[in-house]
Amino acid sequence: MKKFLRSIDFWDLLLATSCLAIFLYAAIFVPNFVSGFNLSQLAASASEKALLILPMTLLIITREIDLSIASVLALTSVIFGLLVQTGVPTLAAIPLTLIAGGLLGAVNGYLVSGLGLQSLVVTLGTMALYRGIGYILLGTGSVNILPPAVVDFGINNLPGTQIPWTIVPFLVLAPVFAVVLQKTPTGKRIYALGGSPEVARYSGINTGRMVLKLFVVSGIVAAVAGIVYTARLSNARANNALGMELDVITIVLLGGVSVFGGKGRLTGVMLALVLIAIIRNVLALSQIGGDAQGMIIGMLLIGSLLVGNYWRSTQELLSRSRAMRETKG
Amino acid sequence: MLQLGALGEANAVVKRGAAAPVALVQATKAFGGTIALKDASFELCAGEVLALLGENGAGKSTCVKLLAGVHAPTGGHVEVDGKLVVFHTPHDAQAAGIAVMHQHPGLFPDLSVAENIYLGHMPRDRFGGIDNAAMLDGARKVLATVGLDVPAETQLGTLRTSEQQLVEIARALSLDARVLIMDEPTAALSQREVERLFTVVADLRQHGVAMMFVGHRMDEIFRIADRIAVLRDGRLIGVKPKTELGRAAAITMMVGREVTDLYPERNHATGALVLEARGLSRASGFSNIDLKLHAGEVLGLGGLVGSGRTEIARVLFGIDQPDAGEIRIDGEAVRFASARAAMDARIAYVSEDRMGQSLVMNFSILDNAALPVLDKAARSGLYGTDRAIDLVSDWLKRMKLRFSGYGQPVKDLSGGNQQKVVLAKWLRTEPRVLILDEPTQGIDVGTKAEVHAMIADLAAQGMAIILISSEMPELIGMCDRIIVLREGHRTAEFARGEATQEKVLEAATKAGENADPAALAESAAGAGKKKAPLDMLKRREFGLLAAMLAVAIPVTMINPRMVSAANLTAVSMDAALLVVAALAQMLVLITRNIDLSIAAVIGLSAYMAASMVQAYPGLDIGIGLATACAVGGVAGLINGLVVTKGGIPAIVATLASMSIFRGFNSIWAAGDQISADEVTQAWLDMTGQKIAGVPLIVAIAIIILCLGYVLLYRTAIGRELFAAGSNPDGARLIGIPVDRRILLAFGMAGLLGGLCGALWASRYATIDARVALGFELTVIASAVVGGVAIRGGSGTLLGIVLGALTLLVIKNGLTLVRVDPLWLQGVYGLVILVAIGIDTFIVRRADQARQARAR
Repeated sequence: MKKFLRSIDFWDLLLATSCLAIFLYAAIFVPNFVSGFNLSQLAASASEKALLILPMTLLIITREIDLSIASVLALTSVIFGLLVQTGVPTLAAIPLTLIAGGLLGAVNGYLVSGLGLQSLVVTLGTMALYRGIGYILLGTGSVNILPPAVVDFGINNLPGTQIPWTIVPFLVLAPVFAVVLQKTPTGKRIYALGGSPEVARYSGINTGRMVLKLFVVSGIVAAVAGIVYTARLSNARANNALGMELDVITIVLLGGVSVFGGKGRLTGVMLALVLIAIIRNVLALSQIGGDAQGMIIGMLLIGSLLVGNYWRSTQELLSRSRAMRETKG
Repeated sequence: MLQLGALGEANAVVKRGAAAPVALVQATKAFGGTIALKDASFELCAGEVLALLGENGAGKSTCVKLLAGVHAPTGGHVEVDGKLVVFHTPHDAQAAGIAVMHQHPGLFPDLSVAENIYLGHMPRDRFGGIDNAAMLDGARKVLATVGLDVPAETQLGTLRTSEQQLVEIARALSLDARVLIMDEPTAALSQREVERLFTVVADLRQHGVAMMFVGHRMDEIFRIADRIAVLRDGRLIGVKPKTELGRAAAITMMVGREVTDLYPERNHATGALVLEARGLSRASGFSNIDLKLHAGEVLGLGGLVGSGRTEIARVLFGIDQPDAGEIRIDGEAVRFASARAAMDARIAYVSEDRMGQSLVMNFSILDNAALPVLDKAARSGLYGTDRAIDLVSDWLKRMKLRFSGYGQPVKDLSGGNQQKVVLAKWLRTEPRVLILDEPTQGIDVGTKAEVHAMIADLAAQGMAIILISSEMPELIGMCDRIIVLREGHRTAEFARGEATQEKVLEAATKAGENADPAALAESAAGAGKKKAPLDMLKRREFGLLAAMLAVAIPVTMINPRMVSAANLTAVSMDAALLVVAALAQMLVLITRNIDLSIAAVIGLSAYMAASMVQAYPGLDIGIGLATACAVGGVAGLINGLVVTKGGIPAIVATLASMSIFRGFNSIWAAGDQISADEVTQAWLDMTGQKIAGVPLIVAIAIIILCLGYVLLYRTAIGRELFAAGSNPDGARLIGIPVDRRILLAFGMAGLLGGLCGALWASRYATIDARVALGFELTVIASAVVGGVAIRGGSGTLLGIVLGALTLLVIKNGLTLVRVDPLWLQGVYGLVILVAIGIDTFIVRRADQARQARAR
């Protein structure tokens, strides 16, 4: 029992409690919150962010970042739309789009690991570049005539439930990512790489190839999110998911992943996802606009990190005074 | 014994009567859970050198840092002239007349040698700015004193390690302090340079300076010291005059027992040849190294720090690639492209840098020990904790590791126990060749003996071992053969029995009368290229100009309006806004931070200014500017406080504050828009009016740039901003208030953002809550394209101006040839990538050139 308690992270516990508290608050005070329709909408609207947090978590754990992730989403959305428009069957368009996403990610990965550039600047550049290519391909126009199967996927729920189809890719991928990160040698290597790149290199881990792979994965998952987004809004256009990278990064950091690398777990990140999705939903139900929602989430991020820092420094103080006592005499 | 030492000291103070310039009294220092120093008391006397002696990890550096004000004692205190003092920062210690030469130079690669010497105490001219002439003059003098022959304007990063150590010495001397603390200043120096330093020390002794010398080389200590203080395991064992203390007695005090029984008997035969290197060379590391290693043999690599020992090990382990020569395993030539390849050939390397290269400090014992054998712990693809424990527990037990559980983080372990984890980690890979780089550095005596016994044991079982060590007795006691290196060349080889400390030391330090003519020629060639950094600068600026022309000329041919007065005016006004914002971003970037909220600050202050002008038309310009600057300044300070006091990385803090400022703006505006006819004409004229054909806004931007130049290049604070970004730890070490400087940078950036907002509101007249949305991308792009390094410490004003102009010329050009404005974003992205790509290329070439020069 004691062991189990110790295995629970303080941060995860805090996030879970906050989720529960806000959920209860909303259930009691916000009308229409606990309707099946609303909760289903809540899940659907978080579908793409949910997907994007998975590779972003891995990248931030390895001390990298991918600012271009929403632009890859937009560009793959455009590519998917154009493929479908030119009559490519959906079943062929999907893998082609995923390959395109992988290639876009590989460009990032090559620039970072091959040329040794900082991922912050590289993906800042490709963030603009990829979206720009989207505009070049499609201008301000959009593809909104999509195959019925895609449209159905975008709006229907799983038969007999209120679970939207769009969240299914996340539900499938999340356990895979969690297992890879927590239960495989690859996961251990990712943490080691983030904890200390030098130690990882001296321990025989091919750090460059690992970073390249993670960026490719990031591109592919962003392409999945691109297809989901296109299906959900029945719309492929270049300004899809504008600014979503900020939301995604915010969720990952709120979930307890450190930008200094080596720390954080997917459980925390997923709890942060739920927390932010509920908050946004509650605020929207209370007629509070997007900018104000962003403000509240920004404050939540800073506030939570400040609390975390003070908690840690207090603990260090305690452990030091304990050590002093032990060595007395 | 400890009590006796402390008591003796107390008596000495009473007898002498006069208070010592500086003393430690019952000082204790704890880091987290480990006690680095316990109840140490000693004093430094005027005109005397106190040598601090002790093994690695004995607490010497802690003593230095307490006296230097880097750390505050957890218990006890520091006394200056007999009075209790509390040093809050290294600056306080400096003010009390204490100068320190740090072991790892706290220097700044992006600044000049003269600035490095005078940072923190720069000579001022009568306006309070930096007196450059006096600084260069003083720097030349003190460089001559230490015998370093480089121009004082040279960028520090281009110097060799030993030259940088001399700059560190020069820095301490330039303070004219009455207390001088030297923390292993000679580790990287040649014999000639050491002699020079000792002459300087003798001179200072004449002038009554109190000195403390920390070192490892007994010869040096017994030459230079008047009194010797010995530390062991964080406790002061005693302080004795040199005359009363012989070498043997000093060593006994250091290690706590007789030295002779430290090394195990080894008398087994060596086996077949396992590893051989022929003519192995690597630029800036070592050249033409031959070595042979047999099974069951312990081969020592001796020499000073930086003599190429570690560099050879790195090549043998596949971390670096050799430039020439070959490595043979069992007689077959091999090439290791990575550490993995070397591990597959069953080579293991225990690095000298335990914290940096061997252990992930916040990982558990198990995760660290299992790192190289992860695949073995995952039988079916899934990693099993139990299986991992099975794998490593055997070695950890054999190593007699004292720990509370496999999940215990290694940072909680003592140095000795950490080293045991490292050894277990590598022995678990079942190596045939084990390279040990300073395996007993910073560990206690007991563990040291265990490690020595283990080395002997492993060799007896047939493992081939290379032992790199700075401890002469360890090398002589453990090795079958010793190869000695000096400056990357092999200078001697001794078989067991013929090596003595004197012989090895001589081979390691003998000044090179027969210096390699090739190296001399290379360094001469390098001297001819001293202007290289300046050329590079020119090239960058030239490149940006060329890029602008490459856009402007063809566009002008298609659409001559490009060079019309109206168009040039419009571009210059946009450029003025962008340059002000880019300067704000540069201030933050050079301190190794980033401000993503800059556009949100501009938007918020623009809206606030416009609404104040609307509300109080009588006060228009005054209240508009005041509001914008106040809003921006406060926003910047909030960012700065969250980053410095809250300890949140700038990228996260400003990511959040960007949303907060935008959200606040949006709520405040509530969808409202302020249009041109709601503000006064004077407010609009503030930027639009032309003086001699130049729009006022451009004049304002030029004035701001001039002020920026004065701040960054002519004041000490400006140079400290660069220093804080170039080497934050080093800056703290010499007493620069890094957090205050970062706060200042954010505050100034906010202020400039606010000003930019006011100008924006005046220029564009119609203002809503979405002003400058996404502008941060353009601002950061201008800075990056203009050559401001994201890693901090470097950037020029000319660079950001040209960067901003380049982006705007591209934008303007594309608009004029009727390219869809939506494409612009993509083009900007491409420009950023090209700019950083070219940068990296140039930096790499410069590095290669420098490495070629270094040897």
